[in-house]
Amino acid sequence: MNVLWLQRLSCCGNTHSLLNCETFNALLKEVNFLFHPSLSLESEEELLSDITKGNVKLDLLILEGAVKMDDQRIKELCYIAEYVIAVGSCAVYGNVPALKDGNVCGLQYRFKEKGGLLGEDFVSKGGLPVINLSGCPAHPEWIVGVIRSLSKGIKPALDSFGRPKEFYSSLTHWGCTRNEYFEWKIEPESLGSKKGCLFYNYGCRGPMTYSSCNTILWNGMNSKTRAGTPCFGCTEFDFPRVGLFETKQFAGLPAELPIGVSKRGYIMLSGVAKMFAPERLKSED
Amino acid sequence: MRIEKRLLSRVEGTAELELIWGNGYVQDVKIKIPSSRGIERVLEGRPFMDALVITPRVCGICGHAHLMACVKALEDAIGNVKLTQKAKLVRDITLTVEMIQNHIKWFYLFVMPDFIRLGEKIEDFEPFKGKKWKKAINASSQVVKIIAIFGGQWPHSSYAVPGGITSNFTTSDISRALSIAESVAEFFLEDVVGMDEEGFRSFRSAGLWEELKGDIGLFVNLCIKHKLEKVGSSYGRLLTGGEVFPCITPGHFTGEKKLCSLNLSKIKEVGSPSYSSVKVVRYNGLPYETGPLSRQFLSNNPFIKKLYKAYKDSYMTRVMARLLEIWELLDAIREKLYGLYALIKEPSYYHPYQKVEKVSGEGLGMVEAARGTLIHRVHISKGIITKYHIITPSVWNLGPRCEKYLGVAEKAIIGLEHPLHAEMVLRSFDVCSVCTTH
Ligand code: SF4
Repeated sequence: MNVLWLQRLSCCGNTHSLLNCETFNALLKEVNFLFHPSLSLESEEELLSDITKGNVKLDLLILEGAVKMDDQRIKELCYIAEYVIAVGSCAVYGNVPALKDGNVCGLQYRFKEKGGLLGEDFVSKGGLPVINLSGCPAHPEWIVGVIRSLSKGIKPALDSFGRPKEFYSSLTHWGCTRNEYFEWKIEPESLGSKKGCLFYNYGCRGPMTYSSCNTILWNGMNSKTRAGTPCFGCTEFDFPRVGLFETKQFAGLPAELPIGVSKRGYIMLSGVAKMFAPERLKSED
Repeated sequence: MRIEKRLLSRVEGTAELELIWGNGYVQDVKIKIPSSRGIERVLEGRPFMDALVITPRVCGICGHAHLMACVKALEDAIGNVKLTQKAKLVRDITLTVEMIQNHIKWFYLFVMPDFIRLGEKIEDFEPFKGKKWKKAINASSQVVKIIAIFGGQWPHSSYAVPGGITSNFTTSDISRALSIAESVAEFFLEDVVGMDEEGFRSFRSAGLWEELKGDIGLFVNLCIKHKLEKVGSSYGRLLTGGEVFPCITPGHFTGEKKLCSLNLSKIKEVGSPSYSSVKVVRYNGLPYETGPLSRQFLSNNPFIKKLYKAYKDSYMTRVMARLLEIWELLDAIREKLYGLYALIKEPSYYHPYQKVEKVSGEGLGMVEAARGTLIHRVHISKGIITKYHIITPSVWNLGPRCEKYLGVAEKAIIGLEHPLHAEMVLRSFDVCSVCTTH
């Protein structure tokens, strides 16, 4: 499978995320990287003109970074490629580069609006819309996982934002080491603790964010929430929200509740949880 | 006169070189770096803690340094923030780890493949295929695991917050980090310098760079073969603003004999010419080079002292400084990791202010990033950022000319006779365009 990786407005963080993949070198045996701007010796222009002339087959185009709305080059390549992946929240939603520039967007979205550079009806030759690997950056295993599936002829099932369900159907909250504290509604005394859940006071978006950060760990080691940093919801279209370390409260309740939880249910459960929380969870060591 | 435009790949982001040729050599050069992502403007009007999440997004390869400069700037603005020794050490460790990651990738992925383009048959360094190329990626992905242990993930962690760090850890976490550092030290000895630790240390104390084997030995041979050991010098004025204890101390070198301390008020930005969207930064009105060459020279690395004496701030010296810095950093990390065991009971964090709405002030954060001195400046009013300003290392090195002086990299390229050499000299500064035009 011929893979082309291109960059537009980005910090190149997805490239470095990819290079962290434990099996990156093995992947190189399975697929053929035609070009990557940070890695290749060849000239980008020559290769791209070979692709547009049809001399080189393009099986998978991976775009990192947000695009300008009039980027014809990328548009053309998206129609030539069998499959198109937008890697990282910039390429998916526009993200940081689009915040202050109305002419910047993602491949098939601009934040939550469908459309983006390619329009809402875009389907690549292989029959899929843009495969969106959101995240700032996307996790290396998600990137490599999807590349591998495609190279084996398996089309990933996508959610309503075009994200592969395999990696985005569960919440970041799932697998967090602080789950027990979440259940019993125990917050940490302060930051810098292994204990306590960050949902109540520190703005953790884990229960409102789809990602597998706590089941497929970062660098094979850890995750933000395990390291005491709240989840900032970087796989969702509204990243980076204002007030990233704060839990907005409304009438004594978190203004946003975990996905699928009703206000009534939350109030009932949290009352009971607080009352019966085990003592062992309340002390620091 | 002939104008040649070259688009550079294998850098962080993209850069364009405009070379003006005459009489067989480069008469003038302009370095152009495209579009900015407006990160400073995104920060204005937000609660100050948001900067800890947004500033790392300036750069995928050195985002952690942005986090550290940011947290320091915020702490400076808050005022009277006390950190535990434990939090300080961990921050130092993770910042240093990111530099090591960068230096390994830069040499194997960006520098060595240039010699393939010069016609050398060094298949081991070929992108996507070469043994060495793959091994380097492996080593750099190993070392950042240390950041993940303390900071959750790399890239784009936000674990350093005013008052400390968000994580806590156990002795076995420290031990794990230590064993990763050891394995990277092994990589350095076996592959980069091709000798055992004892041998390396003795050559180091005498500064005998000619004795180095391994990939650095190969690099030296190739430089001499292609006459790159002497070219690529700039002003020879070197500056380091941040500190990595104990191996890097701030200061500046004016090109004359004396090493001087640094006076922050002498760092000024001046107007940039029309061809560039990058700012111009000067120290005492003069252009200075920042980065590993400055750091290793100012901290008296014996190898670099000798190299500088023989070849000044040439292409070869600059590359060697960055590569040999890996060892200095590894040494510092190991020492600090050992030091952490005794501090394990200290808190990771103290809450540094009463009420967020009461926080107002100006702050400056300066750290050493992989490419040199990084400065963040913040203004906070009632908990909200009113102004944010970043000077990256690449602004020092790749920034354009001012009325009086050429930019540092521009000066280094003038006089070269081969377009590929021009690209290589530019790459020796470790080009990061994403940082330059945040
Ligand atoms: S810290 Fe966040 S992800 Fe972890 S349990 Fe609490 S809400 Fe869930």
